[in-house]
Amino acid sequence: MTALKNIIANFKHYSFLMKQLIMRDFKVKYKRSVLGVVWSLLYPVLMMAVMALVFSQMFKFKVEGVNYLVYLMTGLVMWNYFSEASNLSMSSVVTNFPLMTKVYIPKYIFPIAKALFVAINFVLTLIPLLVIILITGSGDTKCVITFWYLLLPYIFACLILFTIGMGLLLSTISIFFRDMFYIYGIVLTLWNYLTPVFYDLTIIPEAYRGLFKLNPLYIFINSAREIILFHRSPGLTNLALCGVIAFAMLLVGGIAFKKKQDQFIYYV
Amino acid sequence: MINIDKVSMKFDMGIEKNFSFKMLFVSMFDKKKRRKKKEYFWALKDVSFHVNKGEVIGLIGSNGAGKSTLLKVVSGVMKPTNGKVTVNGSIAPMIELGAGFDPELTARENIYLNGAVLGYSKQFLDSKFEEIVEFSELRDFLDAPVKNFSSGMVAKLAFSISTIVNPEILIVDEILSVGDIKFQEKSRQKMMEMIKGGTTVLYVSHSMASIEELCDRVVWLEHGHVKMIGDTKEVCDKYYFEQMGRTQEQVDEEHKKEKAEQDKNKKTTKKGKK
Repeated sequence: MTALKNIIANFKHYSFLMKQLIMRDFKVKYKRSVLGVVWSLLYPVLMMAVMALVFSQMFKFKVEGVNYLVYLMTGLVMWNYFSEASNLSMSSVVTNFPLMTKVYIPKYIFPIAKALFVAINFVLTLIPLLVIILITGSGDTKCVITFWYLLLPYIFACLILFTIGMGLLLSTISIFFRDMFYIYGIVLTLWNYLTPVFYDLTIIPEAYRGLFKLNPLYIFINSAREIILFHRSPGLTNLALCGVIAFAMLLVGGIAFKKKQDQFIYYV
Repeated sequence: MINIDKVSMKFDMGIEKNFSFKMLFVSMFDKKKRRKKKEYFWALKDVSFHVNKGEVIGLIGSNGAGKSTLLKVVSGVMKPTNGKVTVNGSIAPMIELGAGFDPELTARENIYLNGAVLGYSKQFLDSKFEEIVEFSELRDFLDAPVKNFSSGMVAKLAFSISTIVNPEILIVDEILSVGDIKFQEKSRQKMMEMIKGGTTVLYVSHSMASIEELCDRVVWLEHGHVKMIGDTKEVCDKYYFEQMGRTQEQVDEEHKKEKAEQDKNKKTTKKGKK
């Protein structure tokens, strides 16, 4: 209990620094661009438009009985968050080495600040997603907003916690083993195709489906789709699973990071 | 205030080398399996001393003796391999200034960012903002990105942010005087003021004059060991003479000889005049 209290007190103490680091990322990212912060919104919208065009018009992907555009976008928004945030978190400790050798700062701040910075962008992309949900589709496939939407923040929070845990673990590994930067890039690409973002699980042979369902990203995305596309609860099992996975990952990443953080400074 | 108890710091020099596929490949064909050399470096070895509240402690020693490592251990940047450092009170490390400056951000934004990095709170920065700007003499450039600043201007800004606090413990690596002549004098004075202001200070310098002026006690480090600890004058003199390769007696003797010679010369010149 006291340990938890300590963690929270520590967090509070460094929240101003965390805010400053997130703000720096935001300011630096759009500095000197004409449209500035508008890009936060415009960029994902245009990217999604391209993906939608490619998969629904060129490849003629379809998922039976649902609005494919919404299906694709839900998966894409969540996947993109995970992929960008985990990637940036991984490199955050190494890029902030110059800072760490000068003053004492708790090192966990860097990966978490990055994951939260991308989370702000993620929340912004939910706006165009909402617009797509409201304006596209007709008849049976028309999406409507239901009470179950109240569960979405919980699922997204689980996704973010899972990503933070992943970022902590990856940044720990990458400090001792810099090859991880390249390896993870490949892992991410593979992981992307193994996650039903733009296809449906039904195209996978029956025998392998069980394996696909073990993918944490699938569990998060699928839970969100149940709510958005099918207007029903993802089920208690799924919801519990989301929470358990998120906390387990956070715990694993957190413990690995905590155990190794004192050695980081030797691997500058 | 600061208690340093048998602190040792080991660096593994092999880290840079052993960790690659190439090395693995090479060692596969290396039948003799050369014994791994001990590639350790003890930057600090069993260093112990205590700093009382309000005391100004000087750290002296040649390059690579472990002074900066000790400062980093005390400020928490590095964790000692063995031993323990206990610090009671807030630390302001003035080891390297401008930590976390982002060249893309404006001076105003960097004041907040760097302040946060140094552990200041938002309220504190809000209340001291004017003072920082005033001291840095950069009011006209507040909203210009720091990447367009000259190095002197960056140093002035960094100095002004770092020295705005009244810390309980001050860690100083050389008295910094930055910027143009006017600012150099101002910054030197500001640092002197901070050191003399009754705070506990850990001060590293190669300038014996400033050590003797400021410090209550001096710790002399050599190859990571504490060689001597004690009264400022005593330690400084001994250090100076040893570094110069002579003992006190030798120097005294030389002084005598010189004097005798001068006297002789005077006498001869006097005689010559007659």
